[in-house]
Amino acid sequence: MADITVFTARRVRTMEASMPTAEAVAVRDGRIVEVGTLENMAPWLDGYDHEIDDTFSDHVIMPGFIDPHLHPSMAAVLLPMEFTTVVEWDLPWSDIGAVGGRVELLDRLIELDAKLEPEAPLFAWGHHPIWHGEVDRETLNGISATRPVIVWHRGYHSMIVNDACYRWMDIDLEAARRHPQIDVDRGAFFETGLGVAYRHMNGFLLGTERFRAGLDRMRQVIHHGGQTTIGDAAMGMYGFEDEWEHLKAVMERPDTPFRIQLMPFDMGPLGDEESDEAMIERILAYPQRNTHRLRFSDHVKMFADGGFFAELLMLKSPGHLDGRHGEWMTPPERFERVARAFWNAGLRIHVHCTGDLGVEMVLSTLEKLQSERPRFNHRFTFEHFGISSAQQVARMAEVGALASVNAYYVYELSRAFADHTLGYERASQMSRLGSLERAGIRFAVHSDFTMAPAKPLNNAWVAANRLNESGEVMCANERASLDAAIKAITSNAAYVLGLEDEIGSLRWGKQADFTILEADPYDVGAEGLRDIPIWGTVFEGEKFPI
Amino acid sequence: MISSVEPIPVTVLGGYLGAGKTTLVNRLLSGDHGRRLAVLVNDFGEVNIDVDLITSHDGETISLQNGCVCCSIADALGESLDRVLALDPAPDQVVIEASGVADPAKVAAYGYGWPGCRLDAVIVLADAETIQAKAKDQFVGELVTRQLRGADLVLVTKSDLVSPEVLDSVLDWVRSIAAVPVLPVSRGEVDSEVVLAMSRSDLDVGSARVVTRGTSPLTDAEAMFETATLALPGPVNRARLEAAMSLWSQDVVRVKGIVWVAEADGGNAQPHVVQRVGLRWSIEPATTNIDQETEGGRLVVVVLRGTLDAAALINDLVDAE
Ligand SMILES: [Zn+2]
Repeated sequence: MADITVFTARRVRTMEASMPTAEAVAVRDGRIVEVGTLENMAPWLDGYDHEIDDTFSDHVIMPGFIDPHLHPSMAAVLLPMEFTTVVEWDLPWSDIGAVGGRVELLDRLIELDAKLEPEAPLFAWGHHPIWHGEVDRETLNGISATRPVIVWHRGYHSMIVNDACYRWMDIDLEAARRHPQIDVDRGAFFETGLGVAYRHMNGFLLGTERFRAGLDRMRQVIHHGGQTTIGDAAMGMYGFEDEWEHLKAVMERPDTPFRIQLMPFDMGPLGDEESDEAMIERILAYPQRNTHRLRFSDHVKMFADGGFFAELLMLKSPGHLDGRHGEWMTPPERFERVARAFWNAGLRIHVHCTGDLGVEMVLSTLEKLQSERPRFNHRFTFEHFGISSAQQVARMAEVGALASVNAYYVYELSRAFADHTLGYERASQMSRLGSLERAGIRFAVHSDFTMAPAKPLNNAWVAANRLNESGEVMCANERASLDAAIKAITSNAAYVLGLEDEIGSLRWGKQADFTILEADPYDVGAEGLRDIPIWGTVFEGEKFPI
Repeated sequence: MISSVEPIPVTVLGGYLGAGKTTLVNRLLSGDHGRRLAVLVNDFGEVNIDVDLITSHDGETISLQNGCVCCSIADALGESLDRVLALDPAPDQVVIEASGVADPAKVAAYGYGWPGCRLDAVIVLADAETIQAKAKDQFVGELVTRQLRGADLVLVTKSDLVSPEVLDSVLDWVRSIAAVPVLPVSRGEVDSEVVLAMSRSDLDVGSARVVTRGTSPLTDAEAMFETATLALPGPVNRARLEAAMSLWSQDVVRVKGIVWVAEADGGNAQPHVVQRVGLRWSIEPATTNIDQETEGGRLVVVVLRGTLDAAALINDLVDAE
C-alpha cells in the first residue's frame, strides 16, 4: 500500500480562510499532509510512494461534519421504537413521513400493527396533542386488542396505553387508579405517573440486547448524517459504567466511521452526593480510559433550567403564556459553587440552558467567575440557547462565551410556541443566531438528537433560513449567514469541542475526516442546504459510503 | 392492631436550600421516637449520624439501630420509594426530602399516588433570616413563593436568630402567602411529633397509655409543642367530626388516631383513621380489625404549647357523659 493517498475532487472546501478551496487532499496514516493542487504537492509526491484516488472527482470534499451535542444513550432507548412525529424523519433504515394529524396517526398505528411480530409491543414515539389531538385507551384498543400499544409524547411528558399493555405491564390497576397522574380509563400516564409506567417497562427498554441494538442504529444515524465527530453531551445518564461498556462494545469497532467526544456532567441534578473535589478528580481521570474513538477531555457539562420541548424553560418576565412554570435543574447556588470549582480547576464548561432566565443565571455566574479569576480560551458554552435577548448576547461577547445552538427548535416549535407557550415575539426569536454572528460570538448548531434529526446539513439549513414546519420565516434578522451556518457544523463546532487543531477544517496535520457532498454548499446557497445529497464520509483516511 | 396493608403515610419536606431540611432529617433519623422511619434524601453526604447508631451502610441505604433507614433518591424517586416500601418489616412512615428547587406540591403526587402510600402532609421549611430575600431573588423568588403556597404546614426555622419583632413580621409575611399553620422553630428543635404521622402504636388502642403524654422526645423544656392523647368516651357523629376537623384552631398542629364514626343513617359505628395536618384532613375507614377497648377511640393531638384544652377538644366531638 502506498504511503500517501491523494484524494482529488471537483472541489475541496477547506473552511480555512487562507485557502478556502483546493483540488486535492494528500493523506498519510489517517492525517492530512497537504491540501492544495497536485502540482503544489509535488515535493511530497516525488518523495513518497503515493496513489491518486479520484473517487470524488465529481464530488465536493468538506471537512467531516461535527455535531457537538447529542445523546447516544437516549437515542439507544428511542431508536428501536416507531417514530410518529409531526415532522418527517429520514432514518437509515427507513424514510418516515410526517404524521400530520389524528387520522394520520391512527392510520400509521394500524399499519405498524400489521407489520410487527404478533407479540411485540408497539412503542410509537412522537404524539403531540397540539397536532394529533387526544388519543386514549379505547382508541388504542381499536388498534389492537392483543398487542401492547404505547403512544409516547414527543417531549416524553406522557404515555397512552391500551388494555393489552396493562396486561403486559402486569400493573395493579386499582392502585394506579388512586394516582392523580394516571388516568386508568384513558390509559394515560403523566409526570410522576410515568415513573409507575417505567417501573414496568424499564426491564424491557434498557435490556442489554435492545439497548445495544438501539446504539447500533445510532451508529448508522450518525454516519447517515455525514458526521465524523460527535459530542455526547451527558455521558452516564443511565449509569456511567454501564454506558461505557455498551459504548465500547457497539462503537469502538473498525467499521465505526466517527469518534465520540464524551462529556461527563455535574451529577448534582441527579442527586449525587460526592464532593466537588472528588467529582473534579474523577472527571480529570476519565481521559486515562480513552480508546481510539471514545474520548474524554477537559470539557464538562452542567444543567441550568429544564427542557425546551418539555416547556420547562425558566423565563424572565412575562413568563409563560399560560402561567405555567419552568424548573431549575440545578439550584442557582449549587450552580455557582460547582461552576466556580470547575472554572478554577481549568475545566471547560458547557451549560444546558433554555430560557432567558436560565441564560441570565448562567451569564451572571460567568461574569462573576471572570471577575474573580479571569480566564482566556475557556470555551464556556451556552448549550441549546432557546430564549435569550440581544442584550444578553452582547454580555456573552464581553466575557468570551460561545454558543452551541439547537436551531431546529425554530423549525418544529416556533409556530406552536408562538400560539401556546410564548407568544409570537419571543417564539419567533428562539435560537437567535444573527445576533450571535453580529456580536462576533462563535457558535455551533447541534441536534441534541433525538430532539432534532442528527443531520448537520438540515440544522444548518434551519439556521440559515429560519423556516418552520408551517413554511413561515421566523425572524429573518436572526438567520445565520450561509458561511456562519456552514462553520456551525464544521470549524466552529470543532472550536466548541476544543478540537479545532484536530478537525473542523482541512489543512496539514489535521485528521483526514471528510464529508463527501454532491454539491458545494456555497454554490447551492442557504435554501438548498438540506437537499444536498451526501455520498458518504472519509474517516481518518478511509472511505465509508452511505 | 392495624395490619401492614394500611397505606404508608408519606410526608414531604420541602423548602429552598438552607431552610433546615437536613437538620430536621438528621434529628428524625437519630431521634428516640419509636417509629421506623424511612427517609429519602437527595444528598447522602449531608446526612450526619453518629456512626455508633449505624448498623449497616450499603451505598444506597443506611440502616440505624432505632429501626430507621435513610435512602438516597439518586435519580429516581419512584425506585427509592419502591425500595423502602419493600422493606420487611415495612416502615411506619416515609419522609421524602424534596430537593431545594423542587415544587413540593409536585413531589407530593408520589405520596397520594404511589401504590401502597398515602400523602400525610407537605411540610415546607423557611429560614427566618433569608426567606423574604429569597422570595425576591430574581432566579428563585417565584419558586420559593410557590413552595410556600404548596405547604400544609410551614415551619419557620432559625427563629432564634432573629429578633422577636423580625420574627413576627416574618410569620405574618409567610401567613400572607400560605393560609396554613406557620410555626416558628428554634435551633433546629423541630418537634418530631409535628412531622410524624400516626404510627401503629398510636393506633394500638389496646395499649395502656397515659392520656396526656406531655412533650415529645425531641424537644427540650422550652418545647414549642405538647402532645396529648384524647380518649373518646363514645362514637363520634360524622358531621361533628368533620366540623371539628374543619374548625379546630390551627394551634392544633396535628391530629391522628382511630375514631368510631357514627353515620347519620344510624347503624353500628365503624372505626376510621383520622388525620389532620394544617388544612389537610381525612377520615378513612380503617381497613383492618381493631379491638375496641375504648368506647369511641383515641386521637393524638399535637398543639402549640400552652394552648391545650383537652376537655374542650373532646367536648367538640362527644357530649360529656
Ligand atoms: Zn442535550
